[in-house]
Amino acid sequence: MEAYVKLEHVTKVYHMGEIEIHAAAGIDFEIGKGEFVVIVGPSGAGKTTVLNVLGGMDTATSGSIWVDGKDIAAYSNKQRIAYRRDDIGFVFQFYNLIPNLTALENVELALQICKDPLDARQVLKEVGLEDRMANFPAQLSGGEQQRVSIARALAKNPKLLLCDEPTGALDYNTGKAILKLLQDMCREKNMTVIVITHNQAIAPMADRIIRIKNGKVSSMELNPSPVSVETIEW
Amino acid sequence: MNRFLSIFLIVAMGVAFFSGIRASEPDMRLSGDAYFDEHDLMDLKVISTMGLTDADVDALSAIDGVKKAEPAYMTDALCDIEDSEKVVHVESLTESLNRIDIQKGRMPEAEDECVVDDLWLLSQDFSVGDTITLKSGTDTELSETLTTDTFTIVGTCSSPLYISFDRGSTNVGKGEIDAFIYVPEESFCQDVYSQVWLSVDGAMEATAFTDEYDALIEDVREKVEAIQDERCEARYDEIMDEANEEIEEAESELESAREEADEQLESAREELESGEAELESGEAELESGEAELIEQSSLLESSKETLYSTRTELDNGWSQYNDGAAQLEEQWAAFYEQEEVFNEQEAALDEMTPLYEEAKAGYEPGLASYETSKSQYDAARAAYDAQTSGLETMRLQLAALEEKIGAGTATAEETALAEQLRAAIGEMETQKAALDTWESQLEAAKSQLDQAAALISGYEEGKAALEEGRTQLEEGRTQLEEAQATLDASKAQLEAGEAALADGWAQIGDGESQIASGWQTIEENRQLIEENRQTLEDGWNEYNEAEQEAQSEIADGELKLQDAKSEIAGIERPDWYVTDRDDYTDYTGYGDNADRMRAIGEVFPVLFFLVAALISLTTMTRMVEEERTQIGTMKALGYSRWSIMAKYVGYAFLATLAGCVFGVLVGQKIFPYIIVTAYKIMYPYVPDVVIPYHVGYSLMASAAALICTLAATLFSSYRELIAEPAELMRPEAPKSGRRVILERIPFLWKRLNFTWKSTIRNLMRYKKRFFMTVFGIGGCMALMVVGYGLKDSILGIAKLQYTKLQLYDAMAIVDEEADDDERALLYEQLDEDENVAGYSKAFMQSVTLDHEGAEWDAYLYVPETLEGLDDFFLFDHRVSGETFELGDDGAILTEKAAKQLDVSVGDTVTAENADGDQITVRIANICENYMEHYLYVSPGLFKELTGEQPTENTVVVRMDPEGSKDLDALGGMLLDHDCVLTVSYTETLMEEVTDMLQALDSVIVVLIMSAGLLAFIVLYNLNNININERQRELATLKVLGFYDREVSAYVYRENILLTFIGVAAGCALGKVLHAFVIQTVEIDMCMFGRNIEPISYVYSIVFTFLFSLLVNLAMHFKLKKIDMVESLKSVE
Repeated sequence: MEAYVKLEHVTKVYHMGEIEIHAAAGIDFEIGKGEFVVIVGPSGAGKTTVLNVLGGMDTATSGSIWVDGKDIAAYSNKQRIAYRRDDIGFVFQFYNLIPNLTALENVELALQICKDPLDARQVLKEVGLEDRMANFPAQLSGGEQQRVSIARALAKNPKLLLCDEPTGALDYNTGKAILKLLQDMCREKNMTVIVITHNQAIAPMADRIIRIKNGKVSSMELNPSPVSVETIEW
Repeated sequence: MNRFLSIFLIVAMGVAFFSGIRASEPDMRLSGDAYFDEHDLMDLKVISTMGLTDADVDALSAIDGVKKAEPAYMTDALCDIEDSEKVVHVESLTESLNRIDIQKGRMPEAEDECVVDDLWLLSQDFSVGDTITLKSGTDTELSETLTTDTFTIVGTCSSPLYISFDRGSTNVGKGEIDAFIYVPEESFCQDVYSQVWLSVDGAMEATAFTDEYDALIEDVREKVEAIQDERCEARYDEIMDEANEEIEEAESELESAREEADEQLESAREELESGEAELESGEAELESGEAELIEQSSLLESSKETLYSTRTELDNGWSQYNDGAAQLEEQWAAFYEQEEVFNEQEAALDEMTPLYEEAKAGYEPGLASYETSKSQYDAARAAYDAQTSGLETMRLQLAALEEKIGAGTATAEETALAEQLRAAIGEMETQKAALDTWESQLEAAKSQLDQAAALISGYEEGKAALEEGRTQLEEGRTQLEEAQATLDASKAQLEAGEAALADGWAQIGDGESQIASGWQTIEENRQLIEENRQTLEDGWNEYNEAEQEAQSEIADGELKLQDAKSEIAGIERPDWYVTDRDDYTDYTGYGDNADRMRAIGEVFPVLFFLVAALISLTTMTRMVEEERTQIGTMKALGYSRWSIMAKYVGYAFLATLAGCVFGVLVGQKIFPYIIVTAYKIMYPYVPDVVIPYHVGYSLMASAAALICTLAATLFSSYRELIAEPAELMRPEAPKSGRRVILERIPFLWKRLNFTWKSTIRNLMRYKKRFFMTVFGIGGCMALMVVGYGLKDSILGIAKLQYTKLQLYDAMAIVDEEADDDERALLYEQLDEDENVAGYSKAFMQSVTLDHEGAEWDAYLYVPETLEGLDDFFLFDHRVSGETFELGDDGAILTEKAAKQLDVSVGDTVTAENADGDQITVRIANICENYMEHYLYVSPGLFKELTGEQPTENTVVVRMDPEGSKDLDALGGMLLDHDCVLTVSYTETLMEEVTDMLQALDSVIVVLIMSAGLLAFIVLYNLNNININERQRELATLKVLGFYDREVSAYVYRENILLTFIGVAAGCALGKVLHAFVIQTVEIDMCMFGRNIEPISYVYSIVFTFLFSLLVNLAMHFKLKKIDMVESLKSVE
């Protein structure tokens, strides 16, 4: 299977005064289209760096990042914005909804700027918020807010759905429900979903598990039989 | 650090502006005071109705509290410059008090030198080195006051008594002083001082225009007034003594005058009498002279007779002589004829003389040679004749021979014989021819000789006849010459007779002219005598008159003496007038200006400060909110509430304090400097700007700033501190989005995109920020509007007054006393002038209006007729624009006067003039007016009130707008009339007002600029807070793929909306504030406009938006820098 996403020797070096911090010290991995990928690793291992670089929010110091045949690492600032705009859906740990727009409006806000959006109401319906569309974020629970966030990301019809600790701020059940939603979306829409988490327990539900340690990929394995999230306990 | 800086700056601005503008007022006073102290401006002035003496001066200096008393002279005089009459105040130079500054040239040194008012010199066409001639404006001669009336200008000066443009008033000329001049003390010849300047102990140290100073002066003033009576009494006695002495002197003078007059009359009479005697003897002499002349005339006549007879004799002699002369002429002519004939003959003879000589000489020898030749010939002839027979034989022989030869038969001898024969015949023939020739020659010689003989005898006869003729001629010539000599002698005799005759006539002529001149002399003498007689008669008349005059003069003197005596009895006791500096309007005006500055200082800085305080409050609140978690942590760690709070309070305190110190230090220097300097336009000679720090204002501003920020800090931190630590550790529950009213109008709402929706909801959500921004921008905008509005209101009044309300171009004050003819002439000329569109006569008088105890000075203006008054005045209501007509039912009062007197339409007002005459009139209308104050009364009403027709003393003239508009020409024409006292032009007034208010203009510029700066800071600060608060939201937008400009636009929308709202609020607030400020800064003389021009709003709006734009630009870069990673962070 042809790699849909491919990272080759990606490094990221931060300069903090005179000290160099190698947040990513040469990361290589490949992801196929439609895969549900979980990237796990302890705090400070370089997960977020990978996310930033892959999401076009930051540049790599060296190496190349191929997404659907294009090298993101070589993009200019403006190209990266366009890339974020059209190709990436982002789910934040803290949802990051615009507080004075309703759930529907938050989704529509994102749609307003992209080329080929899905219908906002439809997507919200799919994430199970049919009845809460007119509510403001403050009137929604955490899980519901995360659903809006996911809906906002999905509605853009992106090539990649990047999720940064999507369950981090949620309770166990809600977290499970969110993961379930992501997995379902991946399956139903053949969406490539990358979930970044420090929670090892959810790895079994992924098609591909990438473990990161000290700025390097320590192991990458394909899971021939991913389990449903309901069966996972942590 | 950014936050610290922003608090620091905003506090510094607020404090600087507040304390700076407030300090401007005392600084103005201090600057004035420094100038006054430096020039030792007097504190009190004493003037007496009878002058002041050295004793008075001594008494004044002896008063406790009086530091120095310095006497001086002064007088007011008139001075004609070009066509106008100027009133000049002449002061003597003083050494210690009221010292002047020389601006140009030097101090006067001689009696006839002066220094003049610098401003006056600038406004007039003369310069240092010119002279001015003064004349008295009263009945008293100028020479009683000044030693000279012509002064050379040696320089210009400024005086601490006249710091601005006002020169005070006087009772001379038109009543207003145009200029002052300073002359040396010696130029005055008065024996008493006109005034005494006093300086007061401690006054120098006290600041002018303060209560402290006023109290000090009042104290001394009372003391001065206390000695007034005593001094006045002394002065009175002195005057009385002097007067009595003078009367005694006058009496003795009168006596001596009487004696002198008698003496003089006596000697005059004697002179006249001797003159008469002389005249008589002269007449006798004249008569004898006449008789002599007549005698001489007759003598002359007889000698004339003799001359005539001599003439006749001479004439006879001349005719005889002429006859003789004619005869002689004839004789001479005959003689000359004879002479000529003789001469001809003589010449002919002379011609023949050589021939004769030749003939005579040749005749004798010729005769002899002929004789010989004849005898020879005869002999030859005889010889020849002898030979003639032989010839014939030969000829026959030859012929035979020739025949033989011819026949050829001849022998050779024969031939030779023939030949011989032939030669002999030839020779014979030749001899015969020679003899014939010789014979004819002899005959010719014989005839020649005969002729010569005849010639000789003829010549000798002629010669003898000629000699006889010559003798006869000589005799005739002698006779004739003798006759000529006789004739010449008789001619000489005749000529001598002629000469003698001419001499005689000349003598006669001389004699005649002598007689004529003799007559003339007599005539002259007769006239002289006649004249002398006349003179004598005159002399007698004069003598009589003088006698009478002397008598009447003496009588007059006696009468005067009598009057003087009674006058002395009526002398009033002198009065003192003790005045202080308030007597000088410039001085009080300066104080008023400072007060006006205070009025501005009361309004502007407060608003300014308020805005500044609100901004620092917002900033501090934000800080505490941002550090919520930290507070929670600290609290959880066990820090006490107060120690946590101390951190924020300390932070705020430091930032504010630093701002206060900086603001006070800078603001109290810069603002007063600009303002006091601006006022120097009005006070060009007050040189020093004194800018000390004012602790009071500094503390006030600093305390206010500290209280504001500290209270804000305490308030916001306290709110956080009472919360539980756990609560604090959690992020603050986000404020719920709320639906806004606009959403209820789906029609509109649906058209908005999400960013707009978010923007509008945001505005509603952050109410505090909303109001803060609106207030900040609105406040600054209002300040700018007020600033520009002040400009409009103040600078516009002159234009409104003179182009809308008072439409005339010139106003002439006409002498009330002038006679009707003169005035008629003036009006006639105005009628004729084609550049004059019209004129209106009026009665104008300065009056004090009174309404229920409130008093206000104004002009009473009564037009001569109501007809055509519209062309010169417009009476309207300022707000409604309704126009009024002046009618007999009541007066029209100008707006400000009405307001000050609290008069409304229908009330009655009492107007009192300087003489105490009063009229009470109902106010029918109140009209718009800006400059001065007027009470317009119709002529009918005036007559009804006073019973008198108003005397016209004013003419207002309107120029033809199409005409030349040459005001100078008009003014010249008006002033050519003696009855016109002064002419003023509205154009000039407009310029003056504008100039005067220019000072305020600079102040306004300062206000506008400060407001602009504040607007900038407010916007920047609020935006900064806004962005900090919403960093996460903005980062999320970026992650979602918003371009930078889309992110900026998202923020800008709010800013722009807020700016719009702020501007709208500012316009309204500005209008209200303007109305308030304009009343506080108004001066008594005028009413400022209440208008703000639309363009001023435009300027203010443009500036506010410009600042908004600048701030947004700065924000763009800040927004660009927002890190997307922020979006990943946990909520604080």
